[in-house]
Amino acid sequence: MTRSIIKIKTTLLDHQIAQLSAIAIGLSLIESVLPSPMPGVKPGIANIITLYAIYRFNFKTAIWVSILRVFATSLILGQFLSPTFMLSLTGSMLSLLTLYFVIKLPSKFFSPIGFSILSSFAHIAGQLMLVRLWLIPHASIYYLIPIYSAAALLFGFINGWITYRLLKQHNSI
Amino acid sequence: MKLRSNFFLGDSLIILVSLIFIIFAFKTFWHFETGSVVQVNFQGKIYGNFSLFQDKKISLVGKEGSSMIEIKDGRARIKTAPCKNQYCVQQGWINFTGQILICIPNEVSIEILGKTKAYDSLNY
Repeated sequence: MTRSIIKIKTTLLDHQIAQLSAIAIGLSLIESVLPSPMPGVKPGIANIITLYAIYRFNFKTAIWVSILRVFATSLILGQFLSPTFMLSLTGSMLSLLTLYFVIKLPSKFFSPIGFSILSSFAHIAGQLMLVRLWLIPHASIYYLIPIYSAAALLFGFINGWITYRLLKQHNSI
Repeated sequence: MKLRSNFFLGDSLIILVSLIFIIFAFKTFWHFETGSVVQVNFQGKIYGNFSLFQDKKISLVGKEGSSMIEIKDGRARIKTAPCKNQYCVQQGWINFTGQILICIPNEVSIEILGKTKAYDSLNY
């Protein structure tokens, strides 16, 4: 019997996606062990990689990195298909959708900082909508909107600033 | 994609709009209204509505024993309860619209009422 070797042809883009995803998954895992003041208030540092991917590569890469990160992280943490996973997926998808539109804004006026803030607002908006419609179908969760928005602005700004510094260091600005 | 300038007008606008939104959200969703009337429910019926701006002690004798409700300085509380857990007593004073204290064993509950009815998470 001859040994058969299955070889998957990989492109350079595949390698880039894999590398970026690995970093994003690592960041997500680090974040998951950090204590959080309340459920849902998280820095979302993996979004740095998504934004970085858009600037350094292209939007397609960013979509791949984002989806792979959500699925792989949930599998590692044992949350696959759980509410946590659904929340994470909804947030990421809505934030990608927002980025898809806002990234076309003139780069003379907008930097990763602004995009990061918009993306984190989209992220939390998606999650709150899912919570409202599915997990806690009650109006009292609106009470949490101010806290989540404040966290979105703060962490969105920090993540955006880190992305900006990274891009500057890597000479793509 | 390239980044060209050092100051980003768009970013500043995004931050400004976000800040305005956050302030607006705090004002809208964190609006607590101080109530003026406490409604006392006893054995499934409304026992009575009492103004919060008086000093009053109401004693209700139910299945378990005597519950004492105290109204003072625009606030209300269940001062003593005959039950084992004492949850209603430990929750202390209430004064915002929609706040409620319930003693299930003795069938006593008190709710703060105001001009508008707050979210009722119990009957939802």
